Amino acid sequence: MKKLLFILLLPLVLLTQSAATRLDQSEEAGARIKAIYIYNFTKYIEWPAEYKEGNFVIGVYGTSIPLLNELNKMAASKTVGSQKMEIRNMTSAAEAAQCHIVYILADNSSQLADVVSKIKGKSTLIVADKAGMAKLGAGINFSVVENKQKIELNRANIEKYKLKVASTLVEMAVQVK
Amino acid sequence: MIIKMLNLKRTVCLTMLLVIAALAEAQQSKVSAAYAFFQQDQLDSARACIDAAVQHPETSADAQAWYLRGFIYKTIYNKQERSNKLSPSRLEALTSFKKSTTLDTAQGNVQECIKNVKYLATTLYNDAAASLDSIDYKIAIGNFEKFKEYYLLVDPTPANIQQKDIAFSLAMAALYTQIFESNKKGKAEFLKMAKDAYNRILAIDPNNIGANYNMGVLYYNQAVNLINQSDYDLDIVALSDIQDNSINLFKESLPFMEKAYELDPKRRETLLGLSGIYFSLNEFEKSNMYKQKLEELEKQK
Repeated sequence: MKKLLFILLLPLVLLTQSAATRLDQSEEAGARIKAIYIYNFTKYIEWPAEYKEGNFVIGVYGTSIPLLNELNKMAASKTVGSQKMEIRNMTSAAEAAQCHIVYILADNSSQLADVVSKIKGKSTLIVADKAGMAKLGAGINFSVVENKQKIELNRANIEKYKLKVASTLVEMAVQVK
Repeated sequence: MIIKMLNLKRTVCLTMLLVIAALAEAQQSKVSAAYAFFQQDQLDSARACIDAAVQHPETSADAQAWYLRGFIYKTIYNKQERSNKLSPSRLEALTSFKKSTTLDTAQGNVQECIKNVKYLATTLYNDAAASLDSIDYKIAIGNFEKFKEYYLLVDPTPANIQQKDIAFSLAMAALYTQIFESNKKGKAEFLKMAKDAYNRILAIDPNNIGANYNMGVLYYNQAVNLINQSDYDLDIVALSDIQDNSINLFKESLPFMEKAYELDPKRRETLLGLSGIYFSLNEFEKSNMYKQKLEELEKQK
């Protein structure tokens, strides 16, 4: 019977490993959180009647491609009431006067005083992204508490521009005076 | 009278012995017939004869009969069921060769049986590998489990079978991940299956770089997806909950990625992963540290 035995040992097929990796998306995810916050600001803060016509302009002072991408995606799919959203990448503080919201990125924090000087008499919300900015003129400042993105809110720095802030937003924020 | 009765009893006993011997001969002749049919390539008849032989008490413990049965079923597999990944004849052949080894006290055919088991088990492994897709993955698992069961006869060294187990589990985990990624809402259960597969590997080999890294990536991607799937008009309270959940997932990811880094500090993907996790946890100094290491590594290339 042994002569009938024919053994063909097939090579073991190599099983390879692979996993879907998208490890470069952390900046996009961080930008998404900030975009959601900013859209919430448009819901919980009320601008004067004369600011409810034309486009709702959000100026970004500084360069962050993931953030600009997220805000542009948001602007393409959402409105503020009946207003279309428009995202502007600001190159000078002077442009702040035409914006409903100015978001000063951390690298441009030194421009805060200049922005404040340009929006006198206007209704512009200043959003900043560096510790201490809410005390120096920003209405809202992004801050990190225990790994979590949170906001600091200086009510006086919002209301002096004739903006009304809802209590829900105030309660969710760390109060700064 | 007593003498007559004794003669009758003797005659009955003798007759019974003759009948038993004839039956035993009949069973042995069934084995011979099976072999004859097998040589003439009449496989259906060979199978019928050998099945009858191994079911009969006289030959059910005959190592040669089981050995022949293994051959017959192996030949049926090779000639008729080779393309069938669930071939029943292959399993019958494996069962028969294994049974023969346990009965073969003289060890006459044990080595031959093991060679055949090795061959058939290898086809199970290859079929398992060829079934690694979203449709046939259950066949892959079944065949791999059978492969392990029988391959222990060929190579009883636990470390060797563990290596194969790890390689297969890595492939399964990668497949489950692919299935999940293709339809995150509809195939959500595959994420857990992928994690379970990596956990099985890490229970065997805690220093497996691939399993540590991929597990870290799974948790990382889960956290990122949670954020990126959130709509822009998500309420600020709900956003807070999403952030809490994603932070927990990033923290779950961290020890796996750190372990992968400890095992291979010069792996580009791991440095990218650690930089991304710390960035997402808003720990920018640590994120930048790994980013710098990555940049230094890429300068060296």
